[in-house]
Amino acid sequence: MKPGHRARASRLRLSPLRTTFLAFLAIALSAGSGGLAYFVPAANLAFQSTGVNVVVPSPSPSTFFTSPTPSPSPSPAQVGAFTVLLLGSDDDSKFSSDHVLTQSMILVRVIPSAKRVIMLSIPRDLYVHLSPGGFGKIDGAYSYGGAGAAIATVQQDFGVHVNDYIWVGLLGLIKLIDAIGGIDVVTSHPVLDDYYPADVFSNYPYDYQRVAVLAGPQHLDGIEAMQYVRSRHGDLQSDFGRSQRQQQVLLAIRQKAKQLAPEDLPNIAGAIGGELKTSISVTRVTEMLPLAASFDNPDAITQIVLLPPYTHGGGPGGSIVPNWGEILPLVHEYFP
Amino acid sequence: MISRIVLGVVLAIVVLTVGPGTYIYLDRHQSKIAVAPEKPTAATPRPSAFTLPGTLYVAQSGALYSLSSGRFHQVTSEAGWTQPSLTPEGDLLAVKRSFLYSDVYVLNPFGTVLRQVTNNSVAHPKNADPGGYHWSFYPRLSPDGKTLWMSYDQPKFGYDVVLSVWAMPANGTIKQGRLWTNAADYTGGDTQPVPMPSGGIIYTRYTYGPDEKLIGQLVYTNHVYSAGRALTTPSEDCEQPALSPDGTQIAMVCSYEKQISELTIASWNGSTLGPLRAVITDQLVAQPIWAPDGSGIAYLAPGSPNGPFQLWWLPKAVYAPPPPPSIPPVTPGGPHNGPLPAPSTGPTPAPAARMQVTTNLGLDATSPMTWGG
Repeated sequence: MKPGHRARASRLRLSPLRTTFLAFLAIALSAGSGGLAYFVPAANLAFQSTGVNVVVPSPSPSTFFTSPTPSPSPSPAQVGAFTVLLLGSDDDSKFSSDHVLTQSMILVRVIPSAKRVIMLSIPRDLYVHLSPGGFGKIDGAYSYGGAGAAIATVQQDFGVHVNDYIWVGLLGLIKLIDAIGGIDVVTSHPVLDDYYPADVFSNYPYDYQRVAVLAGPQHLDGIEAMQYVRSRHGDLQSDFGRSQRQQQVLLAIRQKAKQLAPEDLPNIAGAIGGELKTSISVTRVTEMLPLAASFDNPDAITQIVLLPPYTHGGGPGGSIVPNWGEILPLVHEYFP
Repeated sequence: MISRIVLGVVLAIVVLTVGPGTYIYLDRHQSKIAVAPEKPTAATPRPSAFTLPGTLYVAQSGALYSLSSGRFHQVTSEAGWTQPSLTPEGDLLAVKRSFLYSDVYVLNPFGTVLRQVTNNSVAHPKNADPGGYHWSFYPRLSPDGKTLWMSYDQPKFGYDVVLSVWAMPANGTIKQGRLWTNAADYTGGDTQPVPMPSGGIIYTRYTYGPDEKLIGQLVYTNHVYSAGRALTTPSEDCEQPALSPDGTQIAMVCSYEKQISELTIASWNGSTLGPLRAVITDQLVAQPIWAPDGSGIAYLAPGSPNGPFQLWWLPKAVYAPPPPPSIPPVTPGGPHNGPLPAPSTGPTPAPAARMQVTTNLGLDATSPMTWGG
């Protein structure tokens, strides 16, 4: 070979070191782009749904508000503890998307150091002073002012500090449970309802359907779980019984979620879509996942429902009247 | 030294395969928790698969299946069928459930409908009040085959819809039926009647316990519309009774007002239940049923934590272990003057264990199973 040809051929060739480097770079970039294509849609949805901060209005003046201001400094035993307000809404077509009632309001206090969880269900019909002003059923607070108003109402009436909120719509609950493959629940009794709202997959959202969720241990899909937690006509305790069932389903979802792999997140995020909003950032959600998995002792989960004597019926418009003298000591015992 | 052209082609291939490959790899590595259950007939039994005696009937996704000689056979199509039970003639009683109501049917063992027993629809369905429909659940024939027992939501009062236990002639209509129990209001009512050979029934009554929580309680009654006699306490929270073939034991599940479900058995002398004995406490047990030959108990429980329900088998040796071999008494002072040797009990047999019979199914845990010899 002539010297000129040799030089040109040499320029067209790469050393093994550079070849190896380029090969690794190509593999890394390609694998990274494949991973990004897999996770980015979910991450995008996650960023849209999480870290949704709300302005919590300051309490409106009311002579009714008698709760002490919550202590800003937690006791040493509760370092790292935080309180989340879970909000569940009937976001069916009867309501415009921004003005839904919260059918479910559960205050959850997590004490990581003690691996303890306290769940307190607030009756949706509880007659309280609403943060936007005036009195009414507590489920209306979200309708009047979104999550901020719901948080402010709970803070001012119950005297607790809410760190974060999670809101989930009706369809979100169904889709979430289906996306995790259903949940196992021991239903305490047959839940029969001849006038259950047929408003989720119906053309006429004011229609009724019949529901019969039979008793005992069983595997519930999203729709069955929703029927179990939402029906209240067949229960002497009405909303209180429903609150107990909601807590059962929440704990079952938590149990099932412990089995999720990171690879499941795109499917789940895609399934829930815009049916979930939370003020908790993605970073904190990531931090909290191992924490949630570490809560294994069912006896360390305290479930509270505000049955009589904490409340009694007969309030305006079928509402439930709070007995603050009983409620506040209980709340402050568990939500200091 | 590698040619740049060759390297470019190779890298292009690498980029085109590794990127999509990574995506596919991640997609395939999702957990299996949301995988849909298989049809029982699609599940291929292993050659060494355990075989249950007789023919067991189960329900999944609205279809009835029989399991005999280790193989499932589909008895009905997926059309809302559930809660099968056998008639003395070997036919099946089963519930066909639709969106608004459910009815009891008699089918032959191949799934052909022989007779519709109840008619719980309404005459004019268009714009009908949902309260006009009815539910029938848990049909069972008496041992003589003459009386059909079931749970039926009549009477009901507006929002207060409860199941009550009814008895009707097996070849008659619901109009000839009699209301047997007075279900408590707003509780879900009385379910799963089990006719006793000596007459009367054991059923599950749902009621409010002393702590205002809704609980299940086994009740025995042999008089129409009597309060009956509670066999378990409210705090034990028991349901789903099953009578052993020899009539001397009852299997049930007890939840103790928690999200647990323990397989529990107790002796039964025809009127009184003995002390409860928990046999399985680490699974969510549903619908226990005794093998017709008395060799064990089949039940439903998740195959993996929080997963769909599978069929499990508990051999008799687990809940009724044979007595330990007797040790011959050693008489000191005999011809042997040294220290007494330790008594030998011989080789200890390996303890029998429960067995998971199916793996990828999603059996209906609200449907009692039925088992023919």
